[in-house]
Amino acid sequence: MTVASNVKQTLASLKGIESQLSAFALHSMEEEAQKAFHEAMVLVGEIKNDIQLRVYQLEREEKEYSSS
Amino acid sequence: MFTVVLRSLLFVIVLFITTKLLGKKHISQLSLFEYIAGITLGDIAGEVILNSSLSVMHGILGIFVFAIISYLADVISLKSKTLRNVIEGTGTVLVEDGKLLEGNLKKEHYTIDDFSTLLRQKDVFSLAEIEYAVLEPKGMLSVLLKKENRPITPKDLNMKVPSEKAPQTIIMDGNIVYDSLTKAGKTPAWLRMELEKLDVTLDNVFLGQVDSYGELTIDIFDDKIKLAEAQERPLLLATIKKVQADLEMYSLQTDNKEAKLMYRKNAEKMEQVKNKVKLYLGENF
Repeated sequence: MTVASNVKQTLASLKGIESQLSAFALHSMEEEAQKAFHEAMVLVGEIKNDIQLRVYQLEREEKEYSSS
Repeated sequence: MFTVVLRSLLFVIVLFITTKLLGKKHISQLSLFEYIAGITLGDIAGEVILNSSLSVMHGILGIFVFAIISYLADVISLKSKTLRNVIEGTGTVLVEDGKLLEGNLKKEHYTIDDFSTLLRQKDVFSLAEIEYAVLEPKGMLSVLLKKENRPITPKDLNMKVPSEKAPQTIIMDGNIVYDSLTKAGKTPAWLRMELEKLDVTLDNVFLGQVDSYGELTIDIFDDKIKLAEAQERPLLLATIKKVQADLEMYSLQTDNKEAKLMYRKNAEKMEQVKNKVKLYLGENF
């Protein structure tokens, strides 16, 4: 397992969390719960973007390493 | 004999109508008046049914007089506090500040034994546990325990608990209850999809409820089949925790300074996410 594949797995988990949170935000009957789920979803989205960038970076580095 | 059957049927209807008109308060017999009316109505009906020498009309008349007086007493006690005290009676304080008021006990003709019996029915065995106790007009005892003897609540523990709405029953006997489904903010299409996820057909579902998180719980006719419980919320919390741990591990493992910082920051963000939603995902601490 390379570092990139590990981070990719985390990225996939993040995507899963985001979609679950958005489902709960939609299906909850309590306004407070809806709000909490929505805010959490936005935060997870931000984390997801950062990790995505890191994945690109890692992939590039690993390609350079294997080709040299 | 035939007249007894006929009279019984007639009085069942008459009593049914009078009780309906007088309302729920009458059935619970909270006040003196309702208690008296309750006994007398039954007695009149019983007499007239079995004693064929009595006129049916007189019986019905008697019932209605009692019903009307009882109804008027209700109306009057709604209007005036003084008359309410006379008609419905007031409670008698038996224990105040942890001390038994013997005078009031005597006034109500209650012995210590009667009082202890009432207390035991309330699961209280020691006088030392009580702060305040009232004997209600109907003879029930209401007890306020001392603070340290009261059951503990989330508030005592400074715990924040999410408010939950009552679950809606959306499937009964294999039929969709459309009213509740709309109240829960769901569509039949959503329900069909959820059932498909659980791999059951609508006909097999005896009872289906949806909670305030939109999770469906069902009971099927066949008790031998085991169904998976709703696991989505605890699972989500577990994934969030795992990702947070992963991010912290990456921040320790990498040599790249920039990446280290980024991982650190996002691990903290993930902690925020966890704190925001853990209350709703079933973790209270």
